[in-house]
Amino acid sequence: MERNIQKDFKEKLTQAVGEGFSLRWETDSKGVVTGWCRLNDHSQITNVALIVSNLGGRVITITAYKTKDAQQRDIHEIAYHFDLDGCTCTVTIEIPRDSGKVNSITPIFKGADWTERELQELYDIKVVGHPNPKRLFLDETIDEGIMNKLIPLSLAMNGATSKTLWEKVFAATSKEVDNK
Amino acid sequence: MSTYTIPVGPLHVALEEPMYFRVQVEGETVVGLDITAGFVHRGMESLALQRNIYQNITLTERLCSLCSNNHPFTYCMAIEKIAGIKVPERGEYLRVIADEIKRIASNLFNAGILAHIIGFDSLFMHVMEIREIVQDTKETIYGNRMDLAANTIGGVKYNLSNEKIKYMMKQMDSLKKPLEEIVDIYMNNKLVRARTEGVGILPKEEAIRYGVVGPVARGSGVNNDVRVKSPYAAYDKIKVNVNVETGCDVRARAIVRLRDIQEAINIIQQCLKKLPDGPTCIDYLPEIPAGEAVAKSEAPRGELIYYLRTNGSDIPERLKWRVPTYMNWEALNVMMPGNKVSDIPLIISSIDPCISCTER
Repeated sequence: MERNIQKDFKEKLTQAVGEGFSLRWETDSKGVVTGWCRLNDHSQITNVALIVSNLGGRVITITAYKTKDAQQRDIHEIAYHFDLDGCTCTVTIEIPRDSGKVNSITPIFKGADWTERELQELYDIKVVGHPNPKRLFLDETIDEGIMNKLIPLSLAMNGATSKTLWEKVFAATSKEVDNK
Repeated sequence: MSTYTIPVGPLHVALEEPMYFRVQVEGETVVGLDITAGFVHRGMESLALQRNIYQNITLTERLCSLCSNNHPFTYCMAIEKIAGIKVPERGEYLRVIADEIKRIASNLFNAGILAHIIGFDSLFMHVMEIREIVQDTKETIYGNRMDLAANTIGGVKYNLSNEKIKYMMKQMDSLKKPLEEIVDIYMNNKLVRARTEGVGILPKEEAIRYGVVGPVARGSGVNNDVRVKSPYAAYDKIKVNVNVETGCDVRARAIVRLRDIQEAINIIQQCLKKLPDGPTCIDYLPEIPAGEAVAKSEAPRGELIYYLRTNGSDIPERLKWRVPTYMNWEALNVMMPGNKVSDIPLIISSIDPCISCTER
């Protein structure tokens, strides 16, 4: 059963993108199969999502991260973790440096909604075609792409709150002084 | 009829953690929902990239207290995959025992909260009293009632003497009868049935579309229990019965959780009987090479996945985890409409939300 779904996945992927991918399967000591796939063309991710959806699979989560290319330049990659009947297949794409955009797979998998919104706010990667691209966790005052740079915790937690508090305290105490 | 919007939260008596719901109602009936998150977001994924591989075991255990065993457990499994470490067999069994004990305590907590929300407080206290048996067991074996600190890279940090095995067997036995009684109440009591049956329906096809996991999925007839679908630790060597219900409502989800508790007791007893001799952990400090790995486990609330990338240094290049609750929130958009305002906390609680896990 599982073997078939892996074969089907490879066949359908070859039909859709030709030679433009690499794929390997690993089996651990418990017999659990894990797939590792890399697409040459990032725009093919919607095709892959459609294939997974047609095979009855689902998206587990999506991971964005920064890594280095051969010239030690920062590049963004996104790893899509799909479930094919218990087998986790990770499909990796590279985000083009110039556009920083990637197609949304939320119209295909409802389960990708939050995780795409999260990677958008953390890495400033534009997810094109997302039905509800608003912020998920982070406050609007925090810049997008916060995971791209190191920031002090106090700033990330919006330390302005305590500043506002002290301003109020000072304002109130100065009024008391004035009244006296 | 005119439509109103009711704010529920961010703080609410039935939710111990903050989450803000804007619920649109027509009269007494819910017609729509908008969820706003982010009140306790701690940036832990970013923190994990500033700590070394060993420090992250502790960090991930601090994610939340109810699923606090699954996080370091799954994280360690991801590291072991990258470094090609084989965990000793005894260690694998001990990992399963720690995990299932946490499952019992976590599911009992949710079952208790359900009773509290529907106003059946004597049942709530009864469930919490039974839970104390599990809490006492954890304290005796691991020295702590919530964070067990059981896992480390290459195995576990605790061992069970024959005396402790006997004690644990006895504790598990003592859970069985009172548990049967409360399962009977949840399944047959008129008040409980009236409040939970047909409430918060999530049809099977919607459960698949939203990719929900754990008891929420299994209450809607979707079986994606990681312990069986992709076994890990000692789950390939023991018998695990997956509980699936087809009611798709609050009741079905509650029954799945209660049955999961009974199954967890069976699993622990199987492990205690079959516990092999030998070391519990590898006896060297491993080097973690560059690589990537995914590891999955079945937390009390469902599938938990860790994705880890390493680059040969002792700081991970990326550590990402997706908790079970993360997938279940959006399904509230299906469960809520058509139900009464008074059922809102009950339906939210039926997904057993873990907000500290969701917001990391």
